[in-house]
Amino acid sequence: MGFSNIVVAVDGSEASQEALNHAVELARQSKSALTGFFIIDGGWPNFIGNDWQSAKGARQGFLDYIREEQEQQAEAARQQFEAAAEGIAESRFSILAGDPTELMISKANAVDTDLLIVGQRIFQVSGRPSLRSLSKRLAAKATRPLMLFP
Amino acid sequence: MSDTGFIQKLPRALPGLALIVITMVVIRNYIEPWMTNAVVFGTKGWLIKATHLNYILLGIIMGMLYRNVLFGGKLPDVLSDGFKLSRLMIKTGIILLGSLYTLNAIVQLGSMAIFLIGGFVILTIIMVLWLGTVFGLDRSMIGVMANALSICGVSAAVATSPAVEAKASHVAYAIATILGFGIVTMFISPFIGHALGLTDLQYGAWIGTGILNSGQVLAAALAFNPNVAPGTAVSVAEIWNIMRVISIPFAVFAVTIWYWAGKAESADGKRKSLGTLLVEKFPVFVIGFMGMVFLTSMGAFGSVGLKGGPPASDTIQMLRLWMTWIFGFGLVGLGGYIDIRELRQAGGAPLKLGLIVGVTKYVLALLVVFAIKDYLVAI
Repeated sequence: MGFSNIVVAVDGSEASQEALNHAVELARQSKSALTGFFIIDGGWPNFIGNDWQSAKGARQGFLDYIREEQEQQAEAARQQFEAAAEGIAESRFSILAGDPTELMISKANAVDTDLLIVGQRIFQVSGRPSLRSLSKRLAAKATRPLMLFP
Repeated sequence: MSDTGFIQKLPRALPGLALIVITMVVIRNYIEPWMTNAVVFGTKGWLIKATHLNYILLGIIMGMLYRNVLFGGKLPDVLSDGFKLSRLMIKTGIILLGSLYTLNAIVQLGSMAIFLIGGFVILTIIMVLWLGTVFGLDRSMIGVMANALSICGVSAAVATSPAVEAKASHVAYAIATILGFGIVTMFISPFIGHALGLTDLQYGAWIGTGILNSGQVLAAALAFNPNVAPGTAVSVAEIWNIMRVISIPFAVFAVTIWYWAGKAESADGKRKSLGTLLVEKFPVFVIGFMGMVFLTSMGAFGSVGLKGGPPASDTIQMLRLWMTWIFGFGLVGLGGYIDIRELRQAGGAPLKLGLIVGVTKYVLALLVVFAIKDYLVAI
């Protein structure tokens, strides 16, 4: 089966390494483009949404702190991707922001995604508890080829 | 991830607010009266007597149903801003709650609360630091759990995390554990309170000490007795709660000292002074609440209606009616922010630690309230 664009979710941790290695291998074999991405979880304000007693400074300070951690993780993901994708003619990496589950489903179903490759523990390194079920929901909602790694 | 201002939010918040208001109007005008009058098992009002559901708990349940059942786990964008504003409604309600107290009553209740809250905060922090180490939890995770379990759940977790360099995933599990425990206690406490025949004062003191999260203290108090007046459960529990909230900057300071004392590297400017923490972490609405107490004590709203005194003025009665609606709206919104998917994922050592400490505190608070019941002074 030939691919023109293989997409892989990368989070800069071991959880995405195997999926990334496989995506790179497949992209080399099929001479396809490789697209990596990281998602900055935009669900934190809602997650602490009922925290109505926090001082504004404490609440915003916390959100800024979490954002900083996620930006560092995004940079780690970029480095992980670039190291693995070295030598691939057409590779690109992007950082998205929003609800990881929704964005993953939209990536999985995009017309220019020939195959989405994902590790099952993706984004748990800096995410909310519900992201543990992200791959399960992705498998249920994906309408295009999807490859899940343990 | 920044929040936009209130004015910008308002037009976008209208659909969500409309749903919240309609929900509470239907509950208070139709569902609650129907439950009160319905004859079940041959008993009129059995539904209320058996379940202890009132408009407060019904509102929270409806909010939870909207999010987790009707909308499949996520509020639609068109509604989410309105539900976010629930924070503001509850804060407004708490500020208005200041009209239940005179300065004299605050001193009476507050001195009891300082004794109980201070003791429980210190003991809980010590217990979490010890147990967290025994369970081999990460040091920053222990710091977050110590304040979250000892003071007021999410607020304390949020305030403490940056100071102890907690990872996002650690904070998330701490919050999920605390919210899950708090939701259970919010629903069972009214049953226990009625079964044990607790007075409003005893019940308010118990849940104000034993329940972890502020919103859930408010809900549990109003679920026990929906009346908003001096001496009712909510008037006692909220004084206890405010004492806890005030202690956030101090507890953050103490836990930060503990955290950096055990680190090989130096704090290098990361540890903040108590003065800075007070400015950053002190919840401003407490000042509004105290302002309301001051105005009430000065007679700005007429008679408060304390026991043995003249009846409450028309203004005060109107404020109390508003409060019941504002809290009702706010708690529908709070229910809409309870995400069962997030809570179900809580687990591991943080859950074990949270349950052990949470249950111990909850039960111990009840025993202490029983032990000192003769010393609790009604206002």
